[in-house]
Parts: sequence; C-alpha cells; structure tokens
Amino acid sequence: MRAMNTDTLTPENLVKDISGLVTLPDVYLRINRLIEDPNSSSADIAKAVSQDASFTVKLLKLANSALYSFPSTVDTVAKAVAIIGTSQVRSLALSLSVASSFEGLPNDLVSMRNFWKHSLLCALAARHLCKEARRCDADALFTAGLLHDIGELIIFNRLTEQAKEALLLVVHNQEELTVPEAEAQIIGFDHSAVGNALARQWNLPSVLQECIAFHHAPARAEKHPREVALIHIANTLAQLAEVDSLDLDDAPPIEPSAWATAGLEPEIVETMVRSAQEGFTEIEQLFLGQ
Amino acid sequence: MALVSNKAIQPPMPPALPGFEHVRRSWNSQFESYAARILPGEFYVTRHKEGVATTLGSCISACIRDRATGIGGMNHFMLPATDVSDLALMKANNLSDATRFGNYAMEHLINEIMRNGGRRQNLEVKVFGGGRIISGMTDVGLANITFVRDYLAIEGLQVIAEDVGDIYPRMVMFFPATGMVKVKRLRSLHNNVIVDEERRYIDSIKKQPVSGEIELF
Repeated sequence: MRAMNTDTLTPENLVKDISGLVTLPDVYLRINRLIEDPNSSSADIAKAVSQDASFTVKLLKLANSALYSFPSTVDTVAKAVAIIGTSQVRSLALSLSVASSFEGLPNDLVSMRNFWKHSLLCALAARHLCKEARRCDADALFTAGLLHDIGELIIFNRLTEQAKEALLLVVHNQEELTVPEAEAQIIGFDHSAVGNALARQWNLPSVLQECIAFHHAPARAEKHPREVALIHIANTLAQLAEVDSLDLDDAPPIEPSAWATAGLEPEIVETMVRSAQEGFTEIEQLFLGQ
Repeated sequence: MALVSNKAIQPPMPPALPGFEHVRRSWNSQFESYAARILPGEFYVTRHKEGVATTLGSCISACIRDRATGIGGMNHFMLPATDVSDLALMKANNLSDATRFGNYAMEHLINEIMRNGGRRQNLEVKVFGGGRIISGMTDVGLANITFVRDYLAIEGLQVIAEDVGDIYPRMVMFFPATGMVKVKRLRSLHNNVIVDEERRYIDSIKKQPVSGEIELF
C-alpha cells in the first residue's frame, strides 16, 4: 500500500498550520453576518460597531481624517455608517485590525513595521487610484492593498530558511529577479498563492481573493480584472513611495495592459506616489500603532 | 522582410586581470554586458568594457576609474565602528584598528588600478552606500561615510558623484570604461538578509590579525 504523503508543501497546508494563530476580528465577522442578513438595518450595524470600543475610536478618527474629507464632523457611529456605507465599514473593520491580527505570526526576516508600511502605502495608492478610475469601491481597494502581501507573513513564519534564500537570491542575482519569481524558484509557489489560500479559507469577498492572488499577474484575474489591475499598479507605486523614488526602474515593472484594464494613464504615477506618502504620515498611527 | 532578433549576441567573456580570476562574473542582459558581482570585503578591477555590481546596506562602495584610460573598479567594505562617536573613540585609542579595514579596501583598489596603468591624477571617484537600514540609536552607515570622505579628502581624490546615507539598501552597477553607474534603491523587505550578511563579514574581519602592511605605490 502506498503511504499518503501528508507533508506535501502546498499553500493550503501552510495556511492550515496557522489557522489557530491568526483569526479574523470579531467585529468584522459580526458586521459581515449583518450585511448578509436581509432583515438587518444600518442601525444594527452601528450597534455592532459600537460593541468594539477600540474599533469605534479608530473608525471615527479615520472618518474625520483627510482620507475622507467630509464637509462636517463625523461624531457618531450611526453617522459614520450612514455616510461611509455599511459595506465600506465592513472593509474598514478588516483594515483597522489586520496588523494586530497577524501579531501571532512573527518572523526574523522583516520588521512588522516595515512590512505593514508597504501594505499601508499600497492601500493608500490603491485608494487614490480608485478615485481617479471612478466607479470603484475605494474602501474595498484599500483593504485589498493592506492584505495583498499577507501570504508573505505566512511564508516568513513557516518557511523562514527558504524565504531567506529567496530574498538573498533577489539581491544577488545578476538579472532582475522579482521576489515572487525567487519564491517560486525556491519554494515552488509564491506569497500570492499562500495569501490566496488564506483568503479562501477565511471566505473573504472574491474581490479581495483575486487582488491577493493575482497582484503580480493581473492578466490572470477572472471576476475583478479592474480591481486586480489597480492593486498591481498600487503595489509598484507603494515600493516607489517607500524608497522615495519616481523612477519606475526602482520597483517591479507594471504590466502595460494593467493601465488599460484600470482605465488609467501612467502619467499619474508621480501624483499617486506623493499622495500615498502624504496619506501615510497622517494615518500611520491609526493602522500601525498599538 | 525577415524577422531579426534584436537580442545582443553574447560576446566571449573578457579575461580577468591577474588576481581577480576568482570573482563571479556573468552576462547581464539588461546592460548587455558581462558584470562581476562582489560581496562584502571583495573588490574587482578591470580594463575592459564590463560592469562591477554589488548590494550595499550600511557598507560603502567606492567606484574609482582613470578617466583617460577607463581602467577602474569597485570595492565593498565597512568599518568595525558602530557609529561616528565610536569611530572617533576607536581612532583616539587605536587608530590602526578603527580604520584598518577601510584603509586596506581603499588602498588595495587604488593600487590595483595604478598597477594596471591608471594614473593618480586621472582618478575620479563615486561613492555609494552607508544606508541606515536598521532603526536604532547607532548609525553604522554614517561612520562608514565619514571614514570614506575623510580618506578621499586626505588622499586628495575628487568625488564627482555620491549617493550615500538615507534608509535604503542599494544595488550598484558600475562600468569603469565609461564611468556610468546605475543605483537601484531596494525596499526594506531585504534589510535583514543584507544586515545578516554584513554582520558575518564584520565578524570575520574582526578575527583577522592586525598584521599585514599594505604596499604603497
């Protein structure tokens, strides 16, 4: 009889390993249930938000930040839910807690601050791109930006040595080699596949699943090509914002077709990079602070 | 019309100068050129049309060439000092140990260029690296920058370009024949593996004996 190999290294197995260490926040799950319940009202959602004091504080701060620039002060949860929107508040419940959700998955390869800095810059770039592109849920794109690299945290924690080898391969390779290419070469799959496995296990909305799965290969998107193209572009812009450069050679290349799919022109790179940098300074504390 | 591939035909690899045969070289399709890749503590000098590349965290690379003949090369080094005040303290107590590795790296590179026909009055210098890639109280990168600037000023060598300090690691590609340099800033994702490698280098040189005089031209 042939023995079953239960140790096969797959994205799904890696994600199974960490299911006890990282969980979705209760407030997100509560809001999610209410949104899917046809009998619930926005008052129910406001009540669910209010049960989480820390989320309430952050949500109100964010609603009054330049990110939204509402004409009047948003001083109650009910008002925030009304003007931001229920589905958008659900996105924010995930966005505002994701950094603390992953505290159970530490690693020696990248500091959590540097990791989330890139994610937050990507989220901000995605949000700004989304506004340029119009007809697009900026809060969902923001969440997608924050989550796009979560597979990396799983790889760094579970496969530290291979991940280290992949990062070294990138810095010592004679030819331009991207991180996902190096990961695929050494591990057999990359962080986007691992992130996608987690997004599926968590049953995240399909737009988030696809943005995580295809942010390095936007042409493979099936249901949400436009959102995936926006995250693909935002990822590169976030890297430029991080190294304070406007030279596209300093970041992984943007697929030329992604601009057309997103409905945007490459001329906006500079404005978007600057907006992401400015936004970061303002909201860093809300997302990355303790 | 027949379709012709515009891919550059890979010429044979130019011969390495004596003493540099061990340095890893390979074809780089982006620059359509061979390039040597050096690690912390190494250096490479060439008189051919080829590149020298390295990745720098808080380490320094000096890129030096004879502007008349194109002979030149790159080194990659750091000092054992943890920051500028530590460097000053080490200098006050034991000058040779504080800057020995920096002097050694700089003098070897300059001597090797001159041994192969470079002339001192034709030398031009570009300096890269010294990034503050780990947050904390000390700034190893700044100690390295301070050293290399002092060294070049004392030697009377002109720095015509530099990209030093700040918080980024850098990938540097230098072509001695033309003097062209391409610097790519790296995102922080790579900081820790670069710091690890630099630490291994500094630990290994600290174990070396203080003897070994440098032959000066």
